[in-house]
Amino acid sequence: MAKIGVFICHCGENIGAKVDCTRLAAAMGEHPGVAVSVEYKYFCSDPGQESVKRAIRENNLTGVVVAACSPRMHEATFRKACAEAGLNPYLCEIANIREQCSWVHTDNGQATEKAMDITRSMVEKVKRNNKLQPIEVPVTRRALVIGGGIAGIQAALDIANAGQEVVLVEREPSLGGHMAQLSETFPTLDCSQCIMTPRMVEAAQHPKIRLLTYSEIESVDGYIGNFSVRVRMKSRYVDIDKCTGCGDCITKCPAKKISSEFDCGLGKRTAIYTPFAQSVPNIPVIDKANCIYFKNGKCKICSKTCQCDAIDFAMPDTFVDLEIGAIVVATGFQVQNNSMYGEYGYGTYPDVINGLQFERLASASGPTAGKIQRPSDGAEPQTVVFIQCAGSRDPSKGVRYCSKICCMYTAKHAMLYAHKVHGGKTHIFYMDIRAAGKGYDEFSRRAIEEDEAAYLRGRVSKVWQENGKLMVRGVDTLLGRPVEIAADMVVLATAIISQPDAKEFAKTIGIGYDEYGFYNEAHLKLRPVESSTAGVFLAGACQSPKDIPDSVAQASATASKVLALFSKEMLEREPVVATNNEATCAGCWGCVLACPYNAIEQKDILDRSGRVIKRVASVNPGLCQGCGTCVTFCRSNSLDLAGFTEKQIFAEVMGL
Amino acid sequence: MSIEEQYRTRAKELLSGGAVKMVIGYGKGTTPSRRRPLFITSPDDVERLMLDDACITNLSGYLVSEGLLSDEKRVAVFLRPEGIRAVNILAAESQLDAEQIVIFGFDVSGNEVQALKGIHVEEFSDVIRSIKEGAPEADEEELFEKIEKMSPQERFSFWQEEFAKCIKCYACRQACPMCYCRRCIVDSNQPQWINTSSHSLGNFEWNIVRAFHLSGRCVECGNCDRACPVNIPLRLINHRMAEEVLGAFDHFAGMSKTQEPVLASFKKDDSETFIL
Repeated sequence: MAKIGVFICHCGENIGAKVDCTRLAAAMGEHPGVAVSVEYKYFCSDPGQESVKRAIRENNLTGVVVAACSPRMHEATFRKACAEAGLNPYLCEIANIREQCSWVHTDNGQATEKAMDITRSMVEKVKRNNKLQPIEVPVTRRALVIGGGIAGIQAALDIANAGQEVVLVEREPSLGGHMAQLSETFPTLDCSQCIMTPRMVEAAQHPKIRLLTYSEIESVDGYIGNFSVRVRMKSRYVDIDKCTGCGDCITKCPAKKISSEFDCGLGKRTAIYTPFAQSVPNIPVIDKANCIYFKNGKCKICSKTCQCDAIDFAMPDTFVDLEIGAIVVATGFQVQNNSMYGEYGYGTYPDVINGLQFERLASASGPTAGKIQRPSDGAEPQTVVFIQCAGSRDPSKGVRYCSKICCMYTAKHAMLYAHKVHGGKTHIFYMDIRAAGKGYDEFSRRAIEEDEAAYLRGRVSKVWQENGKLMVRGVDTLLGRPVEIAADMVVLATAIISQPDAKEFAKTIGIGYDEYGFYNEAHLKLRPVESSTAGVFLAGACQSPKDIPDSVAQASATASKVLALFSKEMLEREPVVATNNEATCAGCWGCVLACPYNAIEQKDILDRSGRVIKRVASVNPGLCQGCGTCVTFCRSNSLDLAGFTEKQIFAEVMGL
Repeated sequence: MSIEEQYRTRAKELLSGGAVKMVIGYGKGTTPSRRRPLFITSPDDVERLMLDDACITNLSGYLVSEGLLSDEKRVAVFLRPEGIRAVNILAAESQLDAEQIVIFGFDVSGNEVQALKGIHVEEFSDVIRSIKEGAPEADEEELFEKIEKMSPQERFSFWQEEFAKCIKCYACRQACPMCYCRRCIVDSNQPQWINTSSHSLGNFEWNIVRAFHLSGRCVECGNCDRACPVNIPLRLINHRMAEEVLGAFDHFAGMSKTQEPVLASFKKDDSETFIL
C-alpha cells in the first residue's frame, strides 16, 4: 500500500502568492495513497528538510512528492534529504508548480487547479517508482587536451603539475597556436614568444605530458571517465626519434618559394620546414603538396643531406588509441578572410593587410625581422590607417558578435607602429572602444595620449589606390563630416571566427555548437567551461573570442574540473538508463542506429548447445545516458527507461 | 514457354537439386479469380504453381515465419517489385539474411505477366530505382486526390467515419510483412497505451500508431488493404506517409538490403544543424 508524502512549498511569495497552498494541501491529502500532505514556507531550508525527513520516519513513507520549484533547482537537495531519512532517493519526485505554474499564470484560481493537476500527476508517478541504485563506473585518470595553443598548453600543464597524465594533441607541426604568431601582447607589451616559448618547452618536457604534434583526432567513443580516442599521427616523413633538429635539410631544400602559413603569407618557407624557429618539437615536416620529390619523383636532397637518416618518404600515417577519462577542447579560432569587403581591397591591394599579418610584420621573428615594411615594395609606411570591426558587429557581411580583442590589439598596433616608425601617423576608424579589463582602458588611452593615435569614430566606405597611395574614404561621425586619408598601409581588425572544421569536429566528439561554430558551454554563467557532454570541457577561443588572459583563466578552470573528476576512483552515475525486454525484442536494431551514444549492442541468445536462438538488443548501462531516444523508436515497446518507465509516464498522464 | 512454365521448371530444378528447401508461390484459390499462397517442398508439386495477373498478394511476410530460415537453407519465393523491396527492408532490419532468399521476380501490367531478371535482391536494384523515379504515378486514385483536397476538419471526419468501421481484428497487421514483432505494441498492456476496444479513440490510436510504425518502411503492396474485412482504405494512409518520407528525407523504402531506417538514422551533413 502506497504511503506518499506530499510537501507543498510556498517558496515565499513565488508560489504562495498565486497558488492556494492550503487548498492544494487539503486536496492532495484526500488523494488515494497520500499519507501526509503539508505546506511550508521554504521546504529547501534546513527546518523544511528536517520536517520532510521527520515525516518519512514517522509515517514510513513509501514515496515523496515535493511540489516546489523546477527539479533542476532542488531535486538533488530533496533526494539527499530522503536518502538521509532512509528512503531510496529515487522514490522522491518534484512537482514543478513554480516555473510551470505560479510564475506563468495570473489567475489564482486556475493556477491552484493546475498545481493540483501537476502534483496529483506526480503522486501517481511516484506510486510506481522503483528503488534505483546509482551506477558506479571507474575513472581513467588520463586527460586529453586537444589543441596546443596557449589554452591547451595551460590546461595540460595545470593537470600534469597536479600529478595526472595528459595527452596533448596538436594538429600543426609545432605547439604554439596563434599566440606564437603575435608580436607583443596587450596591455603590458611583453613579447609574446618570450612568454610563450617557455610554456611550450615545459609542456614538451613534462614527464606527465605525452605530446602528439601533427596529429588529429580521428574518433571519440565512450563517456565521462571512459573515453576511447583514436588519434591519427599524420606522417611527417621525418623520423621524430632520429632527427636531431639540425635544420640542414631546411637550408638545402630547393623548394623555397612556398607561402608561409605562420607568417600569414608575408614570408616564404621551404617544403621541408618547421613553422618557426622555436618550434616545439624542433622536428621538421615535409609538406607533401609542395615537395619536389612527391611532385616529380626526383630530388631527395633533404634525405641526402640528413646525417642521421631521419627522412623516410614512405612513412605512413599511424594511429594511436588512447583510454581517456576527460577531454579538454582547446581548438582555438581563425581570422575571417576579409575579401568579402570588396570596398576595402583586401586581397587586391597588397598593402591592405589584416591584424594578424601586422603582428607578423611587427614581430622580431617575422619576415621583416620586426621592421614595419609594407608588403608591396618594402617601404616604411609613413601613414597607416586601421579599420576596426572589419567583419565583427556587421550582420550584413561579417558576423553579428563583437570579436572582443580587436579594440585592444589595434591600440597595441598603433603603439608598436609609433615606437618603430618615429614620426609616422596612425588613424584608427572605430565604432566603439571596448576596453574592459585590467589595465585595458589605461592602455588604449596611452595609445591616444602618448603615442598619438588619431581615433576617428566612423566607418570606412572605400579604399582605392591613387598615385602609389591607398586612399581611404570614411566618415568622422563626431564631427559629422567625410574624411579622406592618403595612407601607405591599411590594417583591418578582422573578426575572429570559429575554426573552418569546428562544426564537423564538434560532431566527432559529440558536443554542441552555436550558429557561428563556437562550442556551447553547459551554462553561460554557472558552468562556463563544461560542454553539454559530461567529461568534455572547453578552454580558449573555441568557445568564444577571447584574449590571452581569459583563455589562460578558462584553461586553468578546465584543469580544476578535470582534477575534480580525477579525484575519485569511481564515478557515480544516475541510474536513469534504458533496459530491454529480451522476450519481446524483435531484433530490428533500429535502436542501435538511433542511439546517439553507441550504448546499444547486438546480443545473441544461445541455447544449451550454443546455437543462436534469438538476436536481441542489449543496453550497456555504462554508456547509456538515459535520453530515451531508443524507447521512442522501439516499435514493439520492448525498451524502457528506468526512472521514467512507460508505466510511470502513463500513470503521470492519466493522473492529470 | 510461358513465364509460368519457365518458373515451374526452375522451381523443379532448385528443389530437386536441393538448392532451395521450399518454394513459396501461388496456387489455386477458392474461386477462379483468386490465388492462395502455396508452399511446396517436393519437386513433384511444382505443377501446382500458378502465375498470372491474379497473383497479387505479397508473399515476403512468410519468409520471417518462425524457424523457417534458422537452418540457413535457402528458400525461393515469388515476388513482385514491392515484395522484393520488402525483402530488402527485412534484411536491413536483420529479420533475414538476403543470401538465403532466391527470388522468382515478376511484375504485372494490365493482365500481362513479365518476368524480372535476377535471383538475389541486389540484382533488382534497377527495377526498384525506376519505381522510385516514377513514384508520383499518374494512376493515383481519385479517392486519394479527393482526400488531399479536403480541409483538415473534413479529412478528420472522413477518417473518423472510416475508423468507426474498424473491429480491431488486426488482419492488417497479420497480413503485413513489416509487422513481424512477436509482441505488437497493441498487445502490450503494462501500460495499455492503445485502447483495445473498438471505439473511436482506440481505433484512431491503433491506426495512427500503425501508420507511424510503417512510415519509411511500407512498400505499398496492399496486403493490409485487401485483408481489411470492413474495407478501410488503409493503402491511402500508408501512401501518404510514404510520400511524406520521400519528400522530406528522399527515403524510398526498400532500396537496398543495407538501407538505414529513416527514423533511426541521421546524416552528418544534414541541413538541420540542430541534429548533432
